[in-house]
Amino acid sequence: MLENSASPPKDLEHVFYPKSVAVLGTNRVAGTVPHDIFANILRDNFQGIVYPVSPKERSVAGVRAYKYVLDIPDPVDLAILVFPSTVCNLALEQCGQKGVRSAIIISAGFREIGGAGLQREEEIKSIAKKHNISFIGPNCLGVINTDPLSHLNASFARKMPQEGNIAFLSQSGALCTAVLDYAQAKHIGFSKFVSFGNKASISEIDLMYYLKDDPKTKVILIYLEEISDGAALMKAAQEIISESGKPILVLKSGRTREGAAAAASHTGSLAGSDEVCDAALKQAGMIRCTTIEEMFNNAIALAYQPLPQGKRVAIITNAGGPGVLATDATIKQNLELAKFSDATLEVYKKSLPATANIKNPVDVIGDARADRYKVALGGALQDPGVDGVFVILTPQSMTDIENIAEEVCNTVGKYEKPAYASFMGEMDVAAGISILQQRNIPHYVLPESMSRAYASALFFKHHRDMKPEEFTAFSGVDKTKAHEVIESALSAGRTYLPEEESTKILQAYGLPVLPSGLATAKPEAVALAENIGFPVVMKIVSDDIVHKFDVKGVILDIRTPQATGDAYDAILKNVEAAKPGAKVKGIFVQKMVTKGEEVILGVKRDRSFGVVIMFGLGGLFVEVFKDVSFRVAPVGARAACEMIKEIRAYSMLAGARGKKPRDILSVEECIQRLSILALEQPEIKELDINPLIVNDEGGGCYVADARIML
Amino acid sequence: MDKADIKARVEKVTALVLKVDPKEISPTANFAFDLGADSMQSIELIAAFEEEFNIQMDEQKAREVQTVEAAVEFIAGYLKQP
Repeated sequence: MLENSASPPKDLEHVFYPKSVAVLGTNRVAGTVPHDIFANILRDNFQGIVYPVSPKERSVAGVRAYKYVLDIPDPVDLAILVFPSTVCNLALEQCGQKGVRSAIIISAGFREIGGAGLQREEEIKSIAKKHNISFIGPNCLGVINTDPLSHLNASFARKMPQEGNIAFLSQSGALCTAVLDYAQAKHIGFSKFVSFGNKASISEIDLMYYLKDDPKTKVILIYLEEISDGAALMKAAQEIISESGKPILVLKSGRTREGAAAAASHTGSLAGSDEVCDAALKQAGMIRCTTIEEMFNNAIALAYQPLPQGKRVAIITNAGGPGVLATDATIKQNLELAKFSDATLEVYKKSLPATANIKNPVDVIGDARADRYKVALGGALQDPGVDGVFVILTPQSMTDIENIAEEVCNTVGKYEKPAYASFMGEMDVAAGISILQQRNIPHYVLPESMSRAYASALFFKHHRDMKPEEFTAFSGVDKTKAHEVIESALSAGRTYLPEEESTKILQAYGLPVLPSGLATAKPEAVALAENIGFPVVMKIVSDDIVHKFDVKGVILDIRTPQATGDAYDAILKNVEAAKPGAKVKGIFVQKMVTKGEEVILGVKRDRSFGVVIMFGLGGLFVEVFKDVSFRVAPVGARAACEMIKEIRAYSMLAGARGKKPRDILSVEECIQRLSILALEQPEIKELDINPLIVNDEGGGCYVADARIML
Repeated sequence: MDKADIKARVEKVTALVLKVDPKEISPTANFAFDLGADSMQSIELIAAFEEEFNIQMDEQKAREVQTVEAAVEFIAGYLKQP
């Protein structure tokens, strides 16, 4: 998992800017991968030297071929392997002997087929390590660099994309070809285009770090099928965003909840791999997209236009209906309709027809031509109360679409504010759309996509500008005491810690537990209850019972010594009836809190991202609505605050319908302390605090029940 | 049939199928890496060996054979069978 950060820096400069390239295993059969890779390098005007290496051909595409890479008289910066997978080891070994330090292994037949393929992949990794070779692949489409300094199409894609400032990294080779086709139709260019396949040497994280410093790249797009090291991905993203200000968009497939059902805790069952992935990517400032279309919709906004400074949007339209649709879409994304200044309204009054609506959304009326769009757009862009503009056009008989498109491009270029367009329709607007796309005005088929792209750009802007999270060193933490409880359970072969032990661990980390004690006899229970003070709650303690309520092992609101004794007997009787033979350790007597909002806090250890902290409102909200939020630990004060505000039922805590607000600050502290606990006690696999009872503002909160799985 | 005969016939078939100069076919020559067999030609080679020696080979195992000398051994194993 940590291989990436521990391994030496990868030589990516020679992958993208080689002075000489050798294609190992090429042939003369057009239409095959070994041939087409070589032909593409030649055809697309690579600026360096390219050598075909073919065991039996004297020449390929008219270029003199070499039998072995060792036969090439000059140095080779980059080797591209297109041999069958069974002999890639031999080819790579010769590359090592030749002194080649960078390679792209196109061939399939490695880890992705399992068995012998897995062994082959391990072998090439070992050869690469021996000779200090960094390589892309295997099992990939290749690499494209559109920079005129290199102009390398080392791939078997049908076409080389136009130059642009978007980099695309993909785990899937086939998806690359579809993306190239999609992008060409929309005039979207790329800086670097990489299919990284099995990432046996160079990973997406290595490539991201390279792109951070690539002057040709402004936006990084990644398609991933698996995240093998989520923590490293988050770290890389955070560094790239803070150091280079480049946005990272991720399309991650496999949005399933596999594995979640088998979890033993609430947190385990709610924190499915995709939910955690979603939260983690967002936490690191990455923009997760659900489709290729959404990814490019967001990418062109970020790549072509300045970032919005705020959420006040002006809408300019030549039709009422689309204006309303755009308004709805804008509000849905938590954006606002900008209020124009008096100066802007004055300009509109003078220059637009009396029938025009000069308030936002501005309706320039169906017969509007380029001059009216120019006035409306220019007015909005120079208004200090406007952060960005959406331009909408419907093709009416009077609409001079192409002139309007030109005017939009000219006007937008004069201001440092983002403007996006939606020319609604298909055939009639096609030429206008083409003008917008070629001049880097983001165009969207629907206003909904436009507002989503704006919201994504704004999210990125906010994230980029945030100060780094600060982590509090809390007092009252006794790591050793907590560890002793865990060690004691593990040495007894137990992995489930009932409430009594879980409470001790939480208490050691300063979480507010209620006064309590374990009674092993009735008089002891009565004495404990009197000492704690009524009312109390009594609960069965047994390693054999996880769900105490299911066996009627909990009695609430006990208010007298007599009731305490009766409850003691009743619980033992109930448990014996429901689970005969269960080993009972005693009865847990705990102070009962009757007022307050119930929330749930949890911990889960995710295979890829590490320790995950969960927060949600208790009861129905967590059971039915799954209204919870997640963060990857460590969680600081800001993230804790965001977690609480993120849930849909936040208003219940903030003081809805005349209720007093709850003590949210105390919950924030609990979340942070829990994050420290989970990081410092790696034996804890899952943890639930359910419920944490939150009092009114200033009144604190209390752990009413907890369980820990080791 | 002795190993020398098998070797001579393996080299003859290899030269024909892969269209390479017989002089280039050494015992250690790798069909793909040294003689340029692609995946289709590897299958053609297996079929040609079966015809030449009138044997039926396990295709999966045959595809794992990479060099001329390994092919000689592999085929000899079939020819020994009753």
